[in-house]
Amino acid sequence: MINIKQLSFTWQKQQINPTIAITSLEIAKGEHVFLHGPSGCGKSTLLSLLAGINRPTSGQLSILGCELGQLSKSKCDKFRAEHIGYIFQNFNLLPYLSPIDNVTLGCQFSKPRQIKALINSPTLNQEASRLLNALGLDEQLHQQNVASLSIGQQQRVAAARAFIGSPELIIADEPTSALDANNRQSFINLLFAQANEVNSTLLFVSHDTSLQPLFNRNIDLVSLQEQDK
Amino acid sequence: MILLKLAISSLYNRRASAFLTLFTIAVSVMLLLSIERVRVDAKSSFSNTISGTDLIVGARTGDIQLLLSSVFRIGHANNGVSWQSYQYIKQQRGVNWTIPLSLGDSHKGQAVLGTSADYFQHYKFAKKQQLRFSQGRAFAHLNEVVLGAQVAAKLGYSLGDSIIISHGMGNTSFHHHNDNPFTVVGILDATGTPVDKTLHIPLAAIEQIHSTNHHTGHEHEHEKPTDLIGNPKQITAFLIGFDSPLYTLQVRRNINQFKNEALLAIMPGVTLRELWEMLTIVEKILLLFSMVVVLVSLLGMLTTLLASLNQRRRELAILRSVGARPWHLFALISIESLLITFLGCLVGCGLFYLLMALAAGYLQSHAGITIIIAMLSSYELMLIGAIMAAGFIVGLIPATRAYFYSLSDGMSIKI
Repeated sequence: MINIKQLSFTWQKQQINPTIAITSLEIAKGEHVFLHGPSGCGKSTLLSLLAGINRPTSGQLSILGCELGQLSKSKCDKFRAEHIGYIFQNFNLLPYLSPIDNVTLGCQFSKPRQIKALINSPTLNQEASRLLNALGLDEQLHQQNVASLSIGQQQRVAAARAFIGSPELIIADEPTSALDANNRQSFINLLFAQANEVNSTLLFVSHDTSLQPLFNRNIDLVSLQEQDK
Repeated sequence: MILLKLAISSLYNRRASAFLTLFTIAVSVMLLLSIERVRVDAKSSFSNTISGTDLIVGARTGDIQLLLSSVFRIGHANNGVSWQSYQYIKQQRGVNWTIPLSLGDSHKGQAVLGTSADYFQHYKFAKKQQLRFSQGRAFAHLNEVVLGAQVAAKLGYSLGDSIIISHGMGNTSFHHHNDNPFTVVGILDATGTPVDKTLHIPLAAIEQIHSTNHHTGHEHEHEKPTDLIGNPKQITAFLIGFDSPLYTLQVRRNINQFKNEALLAIMPGVTLRELWEMLTIVEKILLLFSMVVVLVSLLGMLTTLLASLNQRRRELAILRSVGARPWHLFALISIESLLITFLGCLVGCGLFYLLMALAAGYLQSHAGITIIIAMLSSYELMLIGAIMAAGFIVGLIPATRAYFYSLSDGMSIKI
């Protein structure tokens, strides 16, 4: 699924210590991986590499057998739109769209994703509704103003948007930092359930190590990088 | 399609600032269109004042002064043309018709013009249109008066009313010709020219009221004026129409070199153009100012878009994360600026027509400019097109920034 070899990344050419230096990392399909590390250890940078925003300075980084460093920028964008679902920390939604419209947004920019979304439901809106229900958002909230939803509800909408069209990789970038402990637990369980249903790989990034026990695999980014030094 | 929907929803979400920007553009468009329309209509009203007349002849002054006093009733002719000279020139070869004009009297601030019945036949305005009577007929007797449309409307006169003419201009004149009341026998159609603001009486009547006035005591009976006989000693100016325009230059030279009296003949079209050219600087400054206003409003839009862009980094990053490409964001911001400019132009046109409808009456009565509430001319459409294009180009600046924003910020943004 994800295959990293001798990956290094520096923001500036004259930088002595690379921001990211990973000898090898492999994540298999369907794995739920918890990636943690303190602030500033390069989590976000690694995510930007995985999402194809930045290019590796050297080394290999392939997702689904596709070498990201060799794709053109527009191919990268296309790849991301088709295969990656992304959940932000918070303030995830476009405030001027309804939850349903927020969820279907991804399908508007990617035809393959739209086709995959339509396998489960006859229309995009119905598929969005189905996902929102599965993630525990009441039907009457589906057309409501996004700003009137609670943070927990907004995060569910964001998750539904990442899951629509069943992307192979779900990247969750500290999605629970704004939630309390109970909500955090139930939200992660919902993520797992959805990821299992479509057999997506889940890469969950956080500095909160208390979540560690919930995942079947943990990666400490700091020690992962230190191995190489 | 999704981009248009996003642009509309996003703008609606920021409707307060978007509306203000739109309104600024609308006001500037309105201003530009209004100035342009008034300019064009002023020019055409101006050059429509007189047509079909080959020469205007008066005492020697400046070309423009003669035009202003004889056609626009602005200023005074200090001197006149003697009746003999008028008669002499009238006999020249090629002269088809002449219209004597005698000015200097007024009625409640409106100019009184002494003329002959030929006036109603040969005086033409705009595209060689004749004067038409909306009511009544031309004068046939000494104590009859024909009113311009506006005089009748403003002073509330109708056929059969009796009015009194005063000597000199202005309605505060002490010299009222009380013993010579005139009867309204005709009212002309509106022309949008100074004719509307004029009372027309027979030339002989002017002479009559002045000569009677000179007898201070009124101790003897006057002959009752019955018809249009009697010649004045002097007239202010006269208009000439030739059988063929070919005579114009020849006769003009003869008149300008006339030995018996210092006279001046002008070609109204040429002098009108000279006069307008003196005014073009004002017209150009107005146009320049309205263009600056448009520019300022577009810069206002640029400021708003750029400022909002900073607050929208997260919004743009979300769009990127769900698969929007940089050019999608570029297009999104461009569509937004185009939408604002387009709606601004649309609202501006609406405001423009509203303003024109409201101001038409005022401009007509106070400036003599006839505003035609018509479709936008091709030039005006071109102006709007230019504004839209400028708005689009201005919008490219934030659009380009959005394009590069998304690449450098990507999804790692954390606010």
